[in-house]
Amino acid sequence: MEIIKLDNVSYYYKAYNDDGSVGSAMGVEGVTLSVEEGAFVALVGHNGCGKSTLAKLLNGLLIPKSGKVTVNGLDTADKNNIFEIRKNVGMVFQNPDNQMVASVVEEDVAFGPENLGVPQKEIVARVNEALEAVGMSEYVKSSPHRLSGGQKQRIAIAGALAIRPKVLVLDESTAMLDPLGRKEVLEVAHKLNANGMTVLLITHFMEEVLDCDRVIVMNGGHVVAAGTPSEIFNNAALLDEVGLKAPRAIELSQKLISAGIDVAQQSDARALGGDVCQKLKN
Amino acid sequence: MFRDVTFGQYYPASSFVHSMDARVKLLLTLLFLVGIFFVQSFVVYGFVAVFLLTVIFVSRVPLRSVLRSIKGIIVLLVLTAVINVFFTKGADAAESPLWAWSPWNGFTIEIYVNGLKTAGKIFLRLVLLVMGSSVLTLTTTPVDLTHAVESLLKPLKLIKFPVHEFALIMSLTLSFIPSLIDETDRIIRAQKARGADFDTGGLVKRAKAFVPILIPLLVGGFRRAEELANAMNSRCYEGATKRTCMRVMKLGWRDAVASLLVVAFFAGVFVLYGMRGQWNFITWLYY
Repeated sequence: MEIIKLDNVSYYYKAYNDDGSVGSAMGVEGVTLSVEEGAFVALVGHNGCGKSTLAKLLNGLLIPKSGKVTVNGLDTADKNNIFEIRKNVGMVFQNPDNQMVASVVEEDVAFGPENLGVPQKEIVARVNEALEAVGMSEYVKSSPHRLSGGQKQRIAIAGALAIRPKVLVLDESTAMLDPLGRKEVLEVAHKLNANGMTVLLITHFMEEVLDCDRVIVMNGGHVVAAGTPSEIFNNAALLDEVGLKAPRAIELSQKLISAGIDVAQQSDARALGGDVCQKLKN
Repeated sequence: MFRDVTFGQYYPASSFVHSMDARVKLLLTLLFLVGIFFVQSFVVYGFVAVFLLTVIFVSRVPLRSVLRSIKGIIVLLVLTAVINVFFTKGADAAESPLWAWSPWNGFTIEIYVNGLKTAGKIFLRLVLLVMGSSVLTLTTTPVDLTHAVESLLKPLKLIKFPVHEFALIMSLTLSFIPSLIDETDRIIRAQKARGADFDTGGLVKRAKAFVPILIPLLVGGFRRAEELANAMNSRCYEGATKRTCMRVMKLGWRDAVASLLVVAFFAGVFVLYGMRGQWNFITWLYY
């Protein structure tokens, strides 16, 4: 079942020109796409390609200027739906420090359910469950600003999970993290997906895209391609056009193949190295 | 460098006072602050001091931490004491000055015993006020204090005062202080790296040097505020309507015992104040 559907969606920002006139700057234009329930979808593209605008359209933070966004069959343009939609779509943003509302971990995670008017006993249960899911149970009483970037983002994910959404949108949530933090967050995302959560991962790190079911490529406010990771990585012309690069190992294996050396195309640098060694021995 | 300023003065420990309900602590502190103003004599000040020291002992906060709070008002203390010594006249016309000095005609500096007494009492009053309120902040986390304020202000909802929003602003401020401090630190370092000079020159020059810190901080603050608003909206925030709260504040036996003791003590203080000058046998209390 399609949980998120965008039908020819456009959004423009107000732009203030140097001469004082007000024009418009494109956010996204004519975007049509859908996300299947339970899928792990990556949305990639360069800075300013409209990824984050698209994310904000998904839970009604922005309402499309034209076209229609539906979440679980509900139109985001209808004000009466907005809380139902936000209950379904949990969102985690880029800067972990700017999404913490409380100075104690458990109170931050409780913020969502408190807003929904969940009874006190159930809030405690939800908070514990959410922290458990992101592997941060032992930090219940800590203050978020003493945690690492990856841990903070896991708390932010827990905050979204406490609302019990069907979809988790990670809007460049790994962009500000070190490699270790990125790994932590991705592992949590994949684990949640394995338990049935639909995940939409917005990123510009191509390595993060490898294990996704589907990749959507954006450029200049448009969706320019969609497919499995290997389809996207093999489309060199497309990657060139949008200024993205396949992960190193894939690129290398592609080059080896085109040079007539018979190795398997793969993303795992270690395995590729093994392959190459094998070839050299022969 | 500022890191720990943010946690206010909270002194983590487990004690009778720490585990009391923050609302009760806040109310009892208020009672203490008001009660101090009804103390009229050194003897009663002595009682109050002993009482406060007992509370500090029970709270397991080192006396040193409590005394540190006085450091901040030392100038004020000395100034008020000095002014009172020199400007208080005798208790009645019959009192002659303890010491007088007339540097020129028509201007005399006089010190009366009454002035010394008044200065001493005001000094004690200020010291006790500050120590008393720092017992509250030393034994209660800022988060608990916020919750206590929210809970105690609830009746104001009747006059449409936005209690929840007020408390939310308080707690957001608390949670953003550390990251704003980090950012200030970063901006200062960035500006220093570009040759900004914060340490030399006169007052005006130094004040001006802070403009390149304040402006990026302000701009960053607005950006943060917008991101925070998005994050809060995404988590279904819609103001106080139908909102519940995870934290339950429960009154326990400690709160009952503490309230009883503090209220009884200050009832005594108030009674003494009301009967001042009436019964001879307590006049010694008014020395």
